[in-house]
Amino acid sequence: MNTPRGQEAPSRRRRRTETVVLFGVANQEFAISADSVQEIRSTDGLAGAANEIEQPVLPKVRHIIEHGHRAYYVVNAGVHFELPVSRPALLLMLRDSHVAVLIDRIERMTQISSLYPLPLAFRGEERRWYRGLAYVEDAVIPLVHSGGFLTPEECELLDQAAKAQAEQQAAEGAVPA
Amino acid sequence: MTAANNTAQNSFIVVQIGGRKLALRADVVTELSAPVRLHAFPHTSRAVLGVIIRRGRIIPVYDVAPLLAGRSLLTQRFYLVARRHIGQASEFGALPVSGECELVSGEMQPPAGDGPAYICGTLAVGEQSLDVVDFDALVTSQESADDAAGSGEVPS
Repeated sequence: MNTPRGQEAPSRRRRRTETVVLFGVANQEFAISADSVQEIRSTDGLAGAANEIEQPVLPKVRHIIEHGHRAYYVVNAGVHFELPVSRPALLLMLRDSHVAVLIDRIERMTQISSLYPLPLAFRGEERRWYRGLAYVEDAVIPLVHSGGFLTPEECELLDQAAKAQAEQQAAEGAVPA
Repeated sequence: MTAANNTAQNSFIVVQIGGRKLALRADVVTELSAPVRLHAFPHTSRAVLGVIIRRGRIIPVYDVAPLLAGRSLLTQRFYLVARRHIGQASEFGALPVSGECELVSGEMQPPAGDGPAYICGTLAVGEQSLDVVDFDALVTSQESADDAAGSGEVPS
């Protein structure tokens, strides 16, 4: 099959080769720039480091994880992308971010030489989710935007909830037995 | 207007979408293609089924069968590819169509009554009078219907 050529605005297509991590959630495959991933961890060894948010303000974020003196909001990618329930086993810790993403599996790493803009037909949240579409071995795979898992408003909401929870825990700890 | 323009404007592609026979002006149709692989990925644009790759382009596929027939198309035989105008930009878009496709000639008549905005005229084909649909308006109407359904409003 031919490689897709430019869409209506060829200048928008990026020619630079980019290394991406292909990962899976439920029955879907996604790509994310390898540069935006700091670390990939198994969820098995994280039980002790994860704090459950007692009153979740976002269904897709139920835990905060402390890692390397940094707190990460754990975003369940299946819930974020509105996919069927799956069993996430891995955590993508994003670089320069307070977001870690729960995913099911890593497929592989590969290089893409072209990134195609998302067609204008896509008008919803996916315009924030994806940087564009990559063509990898006869498949069109969305390249996720690492900053698209949480909006600034969602981050603020989570920050407020985390602060309230910390204050409540501190108050409970201060109550004499 | 040249004779060639005249010919183009009097040529129509007759297709079936969701069991309904419709005509589109042939000069807006870029291609009728075999049903190639549909690439689907998560998104929230309900009028879009996914994308196909045709002639090196990534082309969104729209599901307009709910608007035309009340339910999504279960089977398809072709993709009808046409250029869609969105604001100042344009891009190709595809519709899955079922049944046979025909190229017919005729003179389009004004639409009957106050039908939906996407019907731009009628065309006599044999004994039948078919609605001629405007590709841009059809897709936009499906999107509006989806938006209204999503927000709980009744589309006007």
